[in-house]
This record gives sequence, C-alpha cells and structure tokens, in this order.
Amino acid sequence: MSLLKSNPCAAIVGAGRTKFTEQWDEDPKAMIGKAGMVALESVEKGFKRRDIGACYFGSFLYQVTNKIGLVHGLMSRELGINVPMVNTEAACASGGLALFNACLGIQSGRYDAVLVAGFEKMSDRQDKIIDDLMFAADTHEFESGYNFPGLYATMMARYIYDYGNGDPKCEVALAQIASKNHHHCLGNKYAQFSSKGDVSVEEVMSSKIISSPIRVMHSSPISDGAVALIVTRPEIAKNYTDTPVYIMSSQEATDHISLYTRKDITSVMATRLAVKSAFKETGLTISDIEIAEAHDCFTIEEAFFLEDSGFYKKGESWKGIYESYESFKGSKHIPYINKGKELVVNLGGGLKADGHPVGATGVRQAYECFKQLRKEAGGNQIDRDVNIAMCHNVGGTGGVATVHILARDI
Amino acid sequence: MSEPIARRNLVGEYRIKATRCSKCGAVYFPSKSFCDVEGRGSKMLDVDHFYDSGEIYSGSAIYEPTNRFVPLERFVSAIVEFKNHDIKVPGRITDFVPSDDLDVKSLIGRDVVPRFRRMYSDGSEGLIYYSSHNFSFKDDYYSCQNYDVVSHSGTGGKAGIVGYGVYIPKFRIKNDEPVSGVLERSVPFSDEDTTTFSVEAGKRALIHSAVSSSEVRKCFVGSESSPYAVKPSMATVIQALELGEAYEGGFFSGGVDSQFACKAATDLIIDAAGLVSYSVFKGKYVMVIGADNSQAAQKDRLDYTVGAGGVALLIGCDDVIATIDNYVAYTSDTPDFYRRDGAKYPKHGGRFTGQPAYFKHVVTAMKTMLKETGYSTKDFDYVASHSPNAKFPALAAEEVGFERKQYDTGLVVKKIGNLYSGSSLAALSAVLDVAKPNSRILLTSYGSGSGSDSYVLTVTDLIEEKRRRSTTVKEQVDSPNVSYVDYQTYRKWKELG
Repeated sequence: MSLLKSNPCAAIVGAGRTKFTEQWDEDPKAMIGKAGMVALESVEKGFKRRDIGACYFGSFLYQVTNKIGLVHGLMSRELGINVPMVNTEAACASGGLALFNACLGIQSGRYDAVLVAGFEKMSDRQDKIIDDLMFAADTHEFESGYNFPGLYATMMARYIYDYGNGDPKCEVALAQIASKNHHHCLGNKYAQFSSKGDVSVEEVMSSKIISSPIRVMHSSPISDGAVALIVTRPEIAKNYTDTPVYIMSSQEATDHISLYTRKDITSVMATRLAVKSAFKETGLTISDIEIAEAHDCFTIEEAFFLEDSGFYKKGESWKGIYESYESFKGSKHIPYINKGKELVVNLGGGLKADGHPVGATGVRQAYECFKQLRKEAGGNQIDRDVNIAMCHNVGGTGGVATVHILARDI
Repeated sequence: MSEPIARRNLVGEYRIKATRCSKCGAVYFPSKSFCDVEGRGSKMLDVDHFYDSGEIYSGSAIYEPTNRFVPLERFVSAIVEFKNHDIKVPGRITDFVPSDDLDVKSLIGRDVVPRFRRMYSDGSEGLIYYSSHNFSFKDDYYSCQNYDVVSHSGTGGKAGIVGYGVYIPKFRIKNDEPVSGVLERSVPFSDEDTTTFSVEAGKRALIHSAVSSSEVRKCFVGSESSPYAVKPSMATVIQALELGEAYEGGFFSGGVDSQFACKAATDLIIDAAGLVSYSVFKGKYVMVIGADNSQAAQKDRLDYTVGAGGVALLIGCDDVIATIDNYVAYTSDTPDFYRRDGAKYPKHGGRFTGQPAYFKHVVTAMKTMLKETGYSTKDFDYVASHSPNAKFPALAAEEVGFERKQYDTGLVVKKIGNLYSGSSLAALSAVLDVAKPNSRILLTSYGSGSGSDSYVLTVTDLIEEKRRRSTTVKEQVDSPNVSYVDYQTYRKWKELG
C-alpha cells in the first residue's frame, strides 16, 4: 500500500544538465539552452518547444557577475519562444524557488507544461566573486568584514561550542560529510570533482583554512552550470513518459537574512518550517524519505538539514554522522543511520562535490532525484529501489529555504 | 558604496543605534519603525550602544577577506550580544590579529567594547567608511567606561577646561636606541586614523567631564594628517559624539578642522574660551581636539620620533578643573617644516627646525608670558610643552629658567612619541592627571611655519572629584596590554591610516 495519501502538485517528465565546472567559453544563456534542449529531448514520448507554456528561471548573480539583465528577453531569443517567463533571485535557493514558482503556475491551472531552469556562471568574476556572494547576506555583516564562508563558520563555531561537548569527533563528523560527498560523486559524470577521487577526512581537516573553523574542503566550489526540467500537470504527465516523477509537495519558508537577528544560529528555521509544511501536506514523516538532496554549501549546513528535517535530534547529528561514516562497510553510497532507518544524502556529491553554480543548484537537486527515482543516474545510481525523495535548497545563511518531496510510484 | 548609502548607514552605525518598543521593550537592530509584537500602535524609541559593552556570541577568523577588507589582511568577524537590550549585532574584532591556528570558539563569551574605527575605504580617492561595529576585548588595553551626565553647578565663572580625554593606540614600536630621548612610540592599528583618534579622545572627554553632549555646540579638530583634504573630521566627530541638539539626523553645532602644523589645536583653545564667554554663542561647551597619525617619510629622522593619538579638551565656564588665566601667541613666517598639497610626507629643514624655529618661538612665548603676568618660573608647578622629541622641550624650558621637576611630568613623548597636534595637549593631560588643586601650569605649543601659544592654567578643587572618570596617560603608557610591533608592521599600519 502506498504511503502517499495526498495528490501531487506537478510532475517532472524530462531533465537535462550541463557538467558543473569552470566553463570559460560558455555564456549563461547558451548553458541554459544546452540544458534545456537535453531536457526536451529526454522526454520519451516527445516534447516540443511549442509545448512550453511558460519558463521559470533561477539565477543569483547574473546582473553583477555576468553583466546581463532581462533574462526573459535573452531566453526568448535563445529558445525561440515568446511565452511568459519569470526569473527568480533567491541567492543559493534561486533554483529551488524557480521550481516552487513553477509548481504554483501549474497548480493555478494556467499552464499544462513549463520549463524550469537554474543557471549560474560564477567564473566570469574570479577576483570579485567572494564579494558578489555577500549579496546573499546582510549589509551590516558585509561591513563587519564577513565573507560568506565566515558566516557559516560563525554558525559552525557556535554549533560545536553548544553541542560538541568538547568531543573532537564533532569536528571530525563535519569533515566526514565532505569526504562522504566526494565519495558519492565518483560515478557522477557531470560532477565538478568526479575525477578527483576519494578525499579522506584527514585531507579535509588539514586543508587550507579560509574562515576558521571552515576550511576549503568544508566548502562547495565556485562553479558554472545549468540544469533544466520539464514540469507538467500531474494528470497529463503520462502523455509524455511512462515514468514521471511526481512533486508531492513544494514548499518555501523564509527567515531573517541576518544571522545576528535570529534567535538560533545552530539551525535553519526556514528549513524547519518548509519541512513541516511538506510533511503536513503529504502526511509523510522523515522516516518515509529514502534519499535526499540536502543543501551542503558548507558541511555544517548538511548537519543542520539532518536535524531540521527531524532525522536526528537537535545537536546530535554529528554523533549520527560519525557513527554512520565509521560503521560503513559498503563501497558506494554512505547512508546516515538512525535507529535502523537509513537516509542517503547527496547521492551525486551534493554542492560540495557535484558543484554549486548557485542558481542551478536547487534545480540540480530535483534533477538528481528524478534520475535516481527513475534508475537513470548511471554511475552514481543508488543500488536499491527507492521511491520517495526530498530536495532541500537554502538561500543565504537561511533567509529562505525550499523543500520539495518527490515520488515515482503514487 | 555610494554617498547616499553611506549617509543612510552611518546614522545607525556610528553608535550602533537600535529602536526599542515603548510598550513591550523589544529592541531591534537595525532599527524598525514598528514593533513585531505590539504592531504599529507602539511608539519606537531610539537607543544606542556607543558606551556599552557586549559579549562575543560566535565568530570566524577571516583569512581570505572580501576585496574591501584586503588591506586588513586577516581579522575576526563576530556576532556580539548586548545583553542589556537582548540584541545581537555583527562586528569586527579590532586591535587583534588572529594567529594561523586560532580556535574561534575560545573567543565565545569574551566581553568586548565598541570602538569607532575605519571599516574600509573606496580606494585612495573615494569615501572612507567608519563605524562602531568594531570591538576590542574589554579585558585588553581599552576599558569600557560609563558615560553618566552630572548636572553642572551653573555658577559660571572664568573659562577653563571642564574635562579632557586622551587616546593613545594600543600598539608601540621601540627605537633600537633612544632618538633625542624618544624610547618608544605609539602606532595606529590598521583601521585607525586621525578621525578615529578624535572620536575616541572626544568620547573620553565627555565621560570625564560628565557634561551633556547636547550642550557642546562647537568642535575644532586640529591636525596635519586629516584623512580628507576636503571633508572635515569635525563633522564625523559631531555625528559620532552627538554634539549639539539633535535635529533630523544632524546636530545644532558647528566647528572646523584647523591646520597649523603641531599647534592647530592649541591655537583654538583661546577661541573656545572666548566663545563660551560670549552670550551670542548659545552653547555651554566647545570641544578642542588635537590628533594626528603623525606623518614621516620612511627612514627620515622623524620616522623614529613620530607617534599617533589624540587629545580632546572640553572648554566651558561651569565646573572647570583648570581655569585659563593668560594667553600669549607669537608667529613668524618660518619655513622649517611643511607639506605641499598632494604631497604624502612633510619636508623639513633639518637643524633649521631647531634654534630659529622651535626654540625661538617657544622661548619667546614663554618669556613673554612671564613678562606679561609678572610670574617668575618658580610660580609654576608644571611646564607642558610641544614635544617633537624629549630633548627640545627640556632645553627650551631650561633656557627660560625652569627646572626638570617642573617639565618632567609632561615629557610623555619618551614613551608615546610625537603626537604632532596632540603633542602639547598630551603633555598637559599627563600633568592634569596628577596635578593638585591650585597648581599652576604653563602650557606652550609650537607649530611649524611657525608659531607658539602659551597659556597659564590654574587647577581647581574639582580636578580630584573628576579624576575617577579619567583614563590617564600613565595608564595607557604603562598598560600591561601594550603590544609591540616591528618596523614593517608599523609602516604598513601607519600608511593605511
């Protein structure tokens, strides 16, 4: 009997992406065009450009970094269509929010099928990208000398202080997340670090320090890339494919942009609220989620997800992470284990190892789940049948979060 | 950043301003026009944290800063909690350079004090941005003092010094061997300059005098190292210290930056005394500040005597700690030391700065003062003079007939270097730190170009009651938290200011 009691709000019938890496010769619209064409061609029963009722794009820094604007007009020419388009900026959650908006468009009944695409071309301003990323933070934080890793480092330092109990395993666990995600990306041909090989915990903990206690190997990279999805009304999804992946819930929640005005910086309230709404809508619990794409811009954020989603109790994820990593005997995906329940997180390497072209990430997470649920993930396909997935995308240090629950068989 | 954004931000950032709901007491930083709990019906009151202390909640040592902070190389950024108002604010830890292996968790819970510092600047030709979102450790060099206004007696009387404040940076450089008696010198941290010295000194003068900042209606800042060629440090001081009655983001007060080499400030003490005695000037107090990040070209002889810091005097007629009794000024066009517009460092005439310049003007002013007042040298308890080094003021005083015991207290140049516009005022402050009621002081400044001012001051009984609120020169000179830097660091930090 299916666990799923609610009706889906939309369905994904096709998906495409570029490799995440430094793509010096590509411009943003060409990257979207390529990802979009792959997505169109991936729909088994056919999907034409004229079937696109609207487009939802997600990108963060295009105006500053790429010196472009009016994405609508750029993409109208690139795709050769004149449908309504919406461009969403929500920092690192731009992609997730584009998908959220697309679901609203579908649910409203206005569109039968839409194109969702996230993109970011970060390598155009190598020398200033560290400054550009601070648009995702509060101006007072920027003017206090903070860089973006420094903000997450501030959350990480307080987390270790409050919950680490002086146990060095806490910091080891936060390094194990990076090691795990690099291991997961080895079979992912699109991942930025697929050819890097395994990264040991010791390598993470001895890597260059950038904003203490965050080291370079706790951090996601600077990336270029684009990802596209074809999203339809669930009722017509099977007109396009026999195996659509349904979006059972699409949620967004917000919180203050500034760390210093939040009551708690050792968790992300926007995540908790979005997760709560998603579970309420679907009737599911965290125990029902089999795989998840979590936002791991820095490893501490993956630890927060494990607690904010309810998989581990507040302040205890590091113990679960440590024990899961240490007890792993397999060769492929390293699951998190809690009381016999397994949750595999970031199957393609996550932001850390697959790459983090900011605006593309939220869409990439849905792409990864789409592929995993359809058993099309190739070298990084999970080695058991899974049916329910969660995507978790965070903007800034938690000013916005989106959560999507996806399922294949309903 | 743009100029309008800078203006909007500085109104809150100079004093860490927040708003408090008059109904439920909830405090919001950044300020909000309504309360989240009580809604728009509740009145929001302004509060600030300029004189408070906070506690580090968490932070990060930033080793690869954003481009605007690259000149600072590495530092700690943190979230600071003000428990008195249950709010947190972001800030940068100043006077502190994190080591490679700093465990930032070790800083959590440490008490910190807001400091008025540079945040960054838009290159060498753009705006300089200041704020108080910079914090130093409370148990370090700079202590936190309350600012409590005490109602003044209102008796009026002869104009004089109502309060004073001295600010000497935490850092020092030792000379390999004494240079004209100068053993070591104060060094600005990488985010300090003349404007920040002025604000810190003025803050201490307000604390010491315990007068309301709203009653200070004029501010003079004398310096030869103003960060801007055009844009007064004075306006920044007025905004930061809230001098004068507040009105729509500004203040009913005025002032000017002045320039006369090292006597840019002392020249205006008599003007301040005149103003507070003049009925048309409605203010009760005038603030006179002498501050410098004293300039010297690398390896120049001055490079081994210059210091950094500032001194602020509050001049008024009520509750003075020292009356201003007599004044003499002597000026001639003597080109001993100068800096052309656009030139980075001053030039000087070597030995020409001695006898025909410093000694001629200082000795003439001192002797004329004795002649005009009828005092003999023995009528003075203390002599405080401009101190380009420790040798010149001693020789000048002895030439007039003073003894070492009269000028030695003011020879702080030996340990802090030449503060240029703040030099004679630092000497005076060291004297005021220890002077007893009825002591008579001869203050004589010197400014190249050239001129000398001499003042006779008489200490009043109030000096002892106000002394408990002062941060003395000696406390700063002898602080166990003074930190020494090497020559390269000293040059690098001095150039940034």
